Amino acid sequence: MQVFKTFLKVLRKHLGISALYIVLFMAVGAAMTLMDDSRQMFEQTRLDICVFDEDGTPESKALCALIGQKHNLVTLEKNDDVILDALYYERVNYVLTIKRGYGEKLAAGDTEGLLESRHFHESYSTVYTEQFLNEYVGTVRAFIAGGDSPADAVAHAEAAFAKEVSVNTANFEPTRSSDSQNKTALYFRYLPYLIFSVLMNVLCPVLLVMNKKEIRSRTDCSGIRPGRFTAEVFAGTALFVIGIWLLFVAVSVPVNGCMYQGRMWLAVLNSFVFTLFSAAFALLVSSFSPAPNIINIITQIVSLGMCFLCGVFVDQSMLGDGVLSAARFLPAYWYIRVNRMLEGAEVYDGQFAAKVIAIEAAFVVVLALLTVMLRKSHVRTPKPQRKPA
Amino acid sequence: MSETVVRINNLVKRYGDLVALDHFSLEIREGEIFGLLGPNGSGKTTTINCLLSLLSFDKGEIEIFGKKMSPVCYDIKREIGVIMQNVAVFDELTVWENIDYFCGLYIRDKAQRKQYVEEAVRFVGLEDFLKFRPKKLSGGLLRRLNIACGIAHKPKLIILDEPTVAVDPQSRNRILEGIQSLNRNGATVIYTSHYMEEVEQICTRIAIMDKGKKIAEGTKDELKRMIRNTETVTVEMLELPEDVRTELAALPHVYDTAFDGKTLTVSCSGGKHNLIRILGVLQNHELSFGRVYSELPTLNDVFLEITGTALRDKEE
Repeated sequence: MQVFKTFLKVLRKHLGISALYIVLFMAVGAAMTLMDDSRQMFEQTRLDICVFDEDGTPESKALCALIGQKHNLVTLEKNDDVILDALYYERVNYVLTIKRGYGEKLAAGDTEGLLESRHFHESYSTVYTEQFLNEYVGTVRAFIAGGDSPADAVAHAEAAFAKEVSVNTANFEPTRSSDSQNKTALYFRYLPYLIFSVLMNVLCPVLLVMNKKEIRSRTDCSGIRPGRFTAEVFAGTALFVIGIWLLFVAVSVPVNGCMYQGRMWLAVLNSFVFTLFSAAFALLVSSFSPAPNIINIITQIVSLGMCFLCGVFVDQSMLGDGVLSAARFLPAYWYIRVNRMLEGAEVYDGQFAAKVIAIEAAFVVVLALLTVMLRKSHVRTPKPQRKPA
Repeated sequence: MSETVVRINNLVKRYGDLVALDHFSLEIREGEIFGLLGPNGSGKTTTINCLLSLLSFDKGEIEIFGKKMSPVCYDIKREIGVIMQNVAVFDELTVWENIDYFCGLYIRDKAQRKQYVEEAVRFVGLEDFLKFRPKKLSGGLLRRLNIACGIAHKPKLIILDEPTVAVDPQSRNRILEGIQSLNRNGATVIYTSHYMEEVEQICTRIAIMDKGKKIAEGTKDELKRMIRNTETVTVEMLELPEDVRTELAALPHVYDTAFDGKTLTVSCSGGKHNLIRILGVLQNHELSFGRVYSELPTLNDVFLEITGTALRDKEE
């Protein structure tokens, strides 16, 4: 196991630098997953509103109090320039004046000319505030029309507005997954980029060292059989690849706060097949013995290009048909198809998922065959170190 | 008569139209330090690569320890130590780890391997650098590490392919002494180089190669006896009249004279007292001269006389 042990020693040296990559990638992956909570959250907006009460009756004061509960009351000097400045610099969203006679008119069932406002035309905050005021005035009027005194009508309206409405976000995508399942699927969406980058940046340099021409020559001169050498390097590679995959899969548990359940095991299998693809690609690239900076360039181009084209960074629903047609020739596209089923963005179909994973596996087989052919052709046609003059 | 360790018979290796080895034959006996001398591109490394089955060849046979060599002769390979021209070590491993790795390709027993690695470290004098990585070592120390990696498993046959390229004189001497010491301990050594002084210093038998062919073979004395030149007298002087030069050329055993305006070179073939006779002629004509040298023939002279080109000219 001399070669295997040395592979691990060399790997350890490269892992030292590359640990930074792994930690960084994991942090980015976790952050992306945790930040994407927007679909599950609802929060009522509080606007900044300035109220000038010219009426000073209990009814007008009740309106001021209600606005204070629902929004932030801002005090301004009653001066046109000050008000316009405050609106312009967005220190206030809406300026309301409760006109003199508001209480009397409301008691008489008259809703015209009760309020006056200064605001930005057709802004979201204006529409939202006017909707709120109209609803309030309409409610008070309805209670008065129903026989309540103005004081009772205001009290009833206040009670009606005090009720908090429980809001649940709804989505209309088919079979939307549970929250934890959704988070896990989201984590797995970014995994192709992370795994591909880590394997290329760590595995390729180690394989290059093990297959360095001078070292291979010296090894070939020794008593060790080439098959054994290859098997030990392969064992080291497999250990590292499976270790990295397990690490990424295990990290998802604390990040998402749940263990894998049900269909989420499919995400684990999907990521494993993609990890094999990444390892096979690293093996193929290292067969060409490229310079380290070339590996870096290949990694950037393939990882970023594949992830953008296949819907890792941008959802596939937002990509054009032409892009998606081209992406079919890349394994990340199929990876994302499975993941979309788990996210709930596509209808789950177990048979189709199995087919898609088989397509990914086919990419692995093709790359592995290419690597074997390439290495065999290298063995058959050794080049001299220096041709005679 | 000692046993034949390596027998190469009619080896032919072609790279397309280029013939790298042209019916090359060789026999190396047990206990020899056999030198393969030749300019860059003469086929030394190709011979070594064929010998080690790193390269296939078009024609011929190679036998090592009496057995036909092939890429799958692992029992033969276990008895060979190789020190290639380019340093072949892991930059990621320490000096100890490197020697241990390459020794471990031959020796499985941990305790024995530890002992062998320790001996190799002592042999090349790297005791103070065990935890150093190769990048921290100087060129000479790196070459010593390269040698330690090749000999740690105590091979019977050691092949060194230009191990002193780009090495300082101190390390070079240490390496050459080391090779002689390995030989004294029983190893047969094949040593390739284009430095004739090194080959002359340590090799018991030498083959001179050029353009893929063996052009001469023998001990250094045998090789030198193959040529006319036995002594070269060099005299620093500023003028040499033509009649004096003619007189010098007519001296017994002198077969060639040359004067380049600064130095007179007289080539002699056999005979004694050549130097005294030459200086006598110069004194008779009251010619003043500076430093005077008398040199015995070198392998460069052998190469020059056989090929018509100096070994060093070829390097350039």
